[in-house]
Amino acid sequence: MGDGLSRREFLSGAAAAALAAGAPRQLWPAQAKLEPKADTFILLWMAGGMAQTETFDPKAYTPYESGLECNRVLSTFPQIDTAVDPIKLSQGLERIAKVMDRATLIRTHRVGDLGYILHTRHQYHWHTGYPPPQTVAAPHLGAVVARTLGPKHPDVAPFINIGQNLEIGGESDAVKAFHTSGFLGVEYAPFLIDDPSQAVASLRPAYLEEGRFRARQEGYRRLLEASPVLKEATDYQQESWLRSVENAHRMLASPAAKAFDLAAEPKQVYDTYNTGKFGLGCLLARRLAEAGARFIEVSSEYIPFRYWDTHENGHARAIGMKRSIDAPVAQLVLDLEERGLLDRTVIVLASEFGRDMMVEGKPDKRVKDQVSTSQPDTMTEPKHYGMHRHFTEAGSVLIFGGGFRKGYLYGKTADERPCKIVDKPVTIEDLHATIYRALGIPADLAYEVEKRPFHVTKDGKGKPILDLLA
Amino acid sequence: MGRAATWLPAALWAAGAAAQTARVDFARDVQPIFLSRCAACHLGENRLSGLSLHTRADILKGGQLGPAVVPGSSRDSLLIQRVSGFSAPSMPMGAEPLTERQIAILRAWVDQGAAGPSADAPARRTAPLALRRPAVPGGAENPVDAFVAAFLARQGAEFPRPVSDAVFARRVYFDLWGLPPTPEQLDEFLLAPNREPLIDQLLANRKNYAEHWISFWNDLLRNDEGVVYHGARQSITAWLLKALEENLPYDQMVSALLNPTRKEDPAGYLIGVNWRGDINASQVPAMQAAQNSAQVFLGVNLKCNSCHDSFISSWKLTDAYGMAAFFANEPLEIHRCDVRTGEKASPKFLFPELGEGVGGSLEERRAAVARLFLTPENGRTPRTLVNRYWRRLFGRGLVEPVDDMDAEPWDADLLDWLAADFAAHNYDLKRLLRQILTSRAYQLPAAGRGDESFRGPRYRRLTAEQLVDSVSSITGQWRVLQPTRAAAGTYARDWRLKSTPLTRVLGRPIRDQVYTGRSEEPATLQAIELVNGDTLRRLLSRGAQRLLGTWKQPPANIFDSGAMRAEKVTVDIDITGARALRLLLEDFDSYDPERVVAGWANAELVSPAGITRLADLAPSAKAQKRALRIKGEAFAEALVTPVPTELVYDIAGKDYTRFRAVVGVDETSLQNDINPRVRFFVFTEEPDRQHLVRVAETGAGGRGSGAGASAQQLVPRLYRHALARAPTAEERRLAEAMDLEDLLWSLFMSPEFQYIR
Repeated sequence: MGDGLSRREFLSGAAAAALAAGAPRQLWPAQAKLEPKADTFILLWMAGGMAQTETFDPKAYTPYESGLECNRVLSTFPQIDTAVDPIKLSQGLERIAKVMDRATLIRTHRVGDLGYILHTRHQYHWHTGYPPPQTVAAPHLGAVVARTLGPKHPDVAPFINIGQNLEIGGESDAVKAFHTSGFLGVEYAPFLIDDPSQAVASLRPAYLEEGRFRARQEGYRRLLEASPVLKEATDYQQESWLRSVENAHRMLASPAAKAFDLAAEPKQVYDTYNTGKFGLGCLLARRLAEAGARFIEVSSEYIPFRYWDTHENGHARAIGMKRSIDAPVAQLVLDLEERGLLDRTVIVLASEFGRDMMVEGKPDKRVKDQVSTSQPDTMTEPKHYGMHRHFTEAGSVLIFGGGFRKGYLYGKTADERPCKIVDKPVTIEDLHATIYRALGIPADLAYEVEKRPFHVTKDGKGKPILDLLA
Repeated sequence: MGRAATWLPAALWAAGAAAQTARVDFARDVQPIFLSRCAACHLGENRLSGLSLHTRADILKGGQLGPAVVPGSSRDSLLIQRVSGFSAPSMPMGAEPLTERQIAILRAWVDQGAAGPSADAPARRTAPLALRRPAVPGGAENPVDAFVAAFLARQGAEFPRPVSDAVFARRVYFDLWGLPPTPEQLDEFLLAPNREPLIDQLLANRKNYAEHWISFWNDLLRNDEGVVYHGARQSITAWLLKALEENLPYDQMVSALLNPTRKEDPAGYLIGVNWRGDINASQVPAMQAAQNSAQVFLGVNLKCNSCHDSFISSWKLTDAYGMAAFFANEPLEIHRCDVRTGEKASPKFLFPELGEGVGGSLEERRAAVARLFLTPENGRTPRTLVNRYWRRLFGRGLVEPVDDMDAEPWDADLLDWLAADFAAHNYDLKRLLRQILTSRAYQLPAAGRGDESFRGPRYRRLTAEQLVDSVSSITGQWRVLQPTRAAAGTYARDWRLKSTPLTRVLGRPIRDQVYTGRSEEPATLQAIELVNGDTLRRLLSRGAQRLLGTWKQPPANIFDSGAMRAEKVTVDIDITGARALRLLLEDFDSYDPERVVAGWANAELVSPAGITRLADLAPSAKAQKRALRIKGEAFAEALVTPVPTELVYDIAGKDYTRFRAVVGVDETSLQNDINPRVRFFVFTEEPDRQHLVRVAETGAGGRGSGAGASAQQLVPRLYRHALARAPTAEERRLAEAMDLEDLLWSLFMSPEFQYIR
């Protein structure tokens, strides 16, 4: 007789998700455990390089004029007031402006200096904390959170990723490279939902109505019971397999699965969020956070040259992008606050780098222009009007909840071009360290892979910026 | 946490202690345990709780909680208490405890006085470089069995009886072809169950053998299908497939990989996987080549010491650079932690006793390093390969982990004998397989798990490719390999196609890393995908149709433009007798399909009576008449539709004989952020959206297992095909009452199917 629960017990549902044998060991640093301020992490990912001077770090506004020198333009929108007096945002973010008194705004997020600026390379760096290539399969921070803190609710996948289709043409392999739990193992891999309005199909089999689905599971169970082979050998491997099937069934049938069904939301609320795929993704994230997901990423989606990746027509496209995020993000904050969940949920809105009209890369480096559509020195058509170049020196990060300070502005960028960081830069590892700290995870926590520690921030060197935490 | 306490009753200690009377040697017995199980926290730069286990002096000194051992008294030693679990937290923390034997060794060491050298560098077992040729023990025909029998005897275990013929057949078909035996193949074997001839027969089928083993090699060599290859990455599929089909000797494979000289050689291996931009010095292509080659071919980990001297082994930074220098285009400057040191690396092999470093041109250096990997004195190369194959067939290597060939094998004699025999017989991979597969050891019942010593093959999980190919082979529903140009697709085994969410979740890796083994642990996400995912659902739905004979051959297109971007393609096809004309414009991964302007220009229908412009026929709300400019040519009037759209024209009884048009994308759509990729099709009946492209219904595809049979006939066939046995009466009764798709699903989800036993 093998060890562990009998097959019968598994089939009857008496199962719990167990750590896979041989999964990487956790190497907890010597200091005492940290007291977490939050237990849920929602990442709102502005993929493609969100122009910070058109959103959260507005500069002097210069309206479009044919014949105007591009160098004279820093922002293409006027500024608006927010609920926090000195903080101004760009026109188009009126609703987020109203909830800035719940926010910490970092304007000095400095990302890695990776030479040639490939979006997916920076996205990989941001999502894993390590610039590729790496010698091991680096895990997405969602997998790190899922592995370290475990599921919040046993019936809800701990790591959920919404909105990014992985088949996007040329850069698909790079995108797939960081949408992974890496060496942490498949148990912590992301549960992928491409389209939030179809999310319910991810759990409720769309092709099998309720009765048929149950009939199939029943038939499966009975066949297993009748098998002479399974009767004769209770084996660890077979039990592991049945246990994971049991877990899957539990997840699919649990009440928590209803969270995936956006149609269950009152129409008025649905309509507020429904600015498009991203907006509905925020609604789904809220529902999943309520149901017990641990980490949820909602991506505005990276497709080369689309969405935030404005290489031309930046002004016109920024209008649309801001409209797609303004109401949903504000509503997400308000809804979680109303439900008493905001204080225990870290919401982070970030992008892989910022944008500038003239500067490509860091101000003191010469990086070749990445694309064929060149930015002229003088504007002659509206499509020249906007932030079209990758700016890796400074970007904006907006954080709500989870123990972060409220109504707080951190860091300053220059008001003239180049809009370098003047005060308090925030690197990726320090930003991650601060978020992890809020979740109770030490910045030098490591997992053992190939006999050596792999730290959750780069080489364990991230330092939490305590000034950002209340 | 207090200091070491002695509150434990003596009886408990006595019960836990295993007999260990031999003299324990610190360097030989104790340090390897620390190195393999404690290093991550208590060696090198890490001194958690202040404790280093680096040297004896460190151990005696201890950390924040005082000395780790009290020489002469294991009972009073904190280290022993922790590893025995008598004091919390137990060590290693958060991981599998030490084995009883290891704990006994440590206990004995302490009780014997905790003696040892005070040398600084951690002594670590290094495998001997040269192969020994140990004498084969008597008692068995196959030397593998002789060694295994001797091993089992030393454990006090008996040689179990081999598995039944059916179990054997299923096992060996999966191991050589990656497919289950069909009921016919199974029956044929069972009539005359001669196992050796079966093995020979399976080995002789080059195609099936190669198409299975290529996945094993793709994992090791970072090669994949469906990947975008551009200048900084190159596929090696053509070479690899041929190498497997022709059973290229392993030494020639390694030589071609390390030193590609001919056009058909796999240059892609050394080119590696590259990201544009500034990368860490430890990841330049030459360093990647050194790391991966050392790992894959020698079982040496150079990754740690690509940035600094290793903390977990004796390899130094200069060793990694010495290897990289064989592969570098220009002289490599040594960087320590990505900071320049000003020193240049010169080629130096990891094992200098095998040969001098060589200078000269890149070609000369590559040739030299290939020779050094393959010189007969380098026993690591054949040993590493043999161990990988052993692990693939038994579920656990003679050495574990397989990438650390300095770890102690559970039978060093067997390993060396096999490696020497492999090298002596021309590095013949099929012969090696045969040697192992014909042994009785391979035919033992599946047993054992974790670190347990050898008792036979382990239960092994079907790989992602084996699973999908099995489902395809049983149902007749295969994936289609579609060329981008306008040619028929072919049914193909899963390895040839891009990974899917199903195969990725089941473990097919994204091959930007070297993978020398896949996890076999089931995960909830896998189960969810299998229960609910689209990929499997579609496979089963169509598969069920094929089996029941209700599969309708989808209509073939009469025109296919192939994938198009900026091209201009002329349509001129025969439509005599067609009752309907269906014009499809499909999206094939444009960045922004909604903004693609494309259509059918100068579209006209020819009949004996004359020419009719398509635009003059009943207009469709979906089509807009406007000008198009395709590849420099202006078309005044074209039918432009959104992407995707199907235009349907009823032409029954109209005597049209030909349809002509020019198709393409308007030049204004050729923008970066639109990036149009479309495809035009013409059908005369309603198409099957999953089969727009034609498929050549030959080869692997077509009929499933006993297609067209009744449910009664199908059930026994399905059991025999999937599980290599007949269903019991009770199983039959249940299965016949089930919907076929449900039955298929249940069979494929059963652990009996998922595992090779």
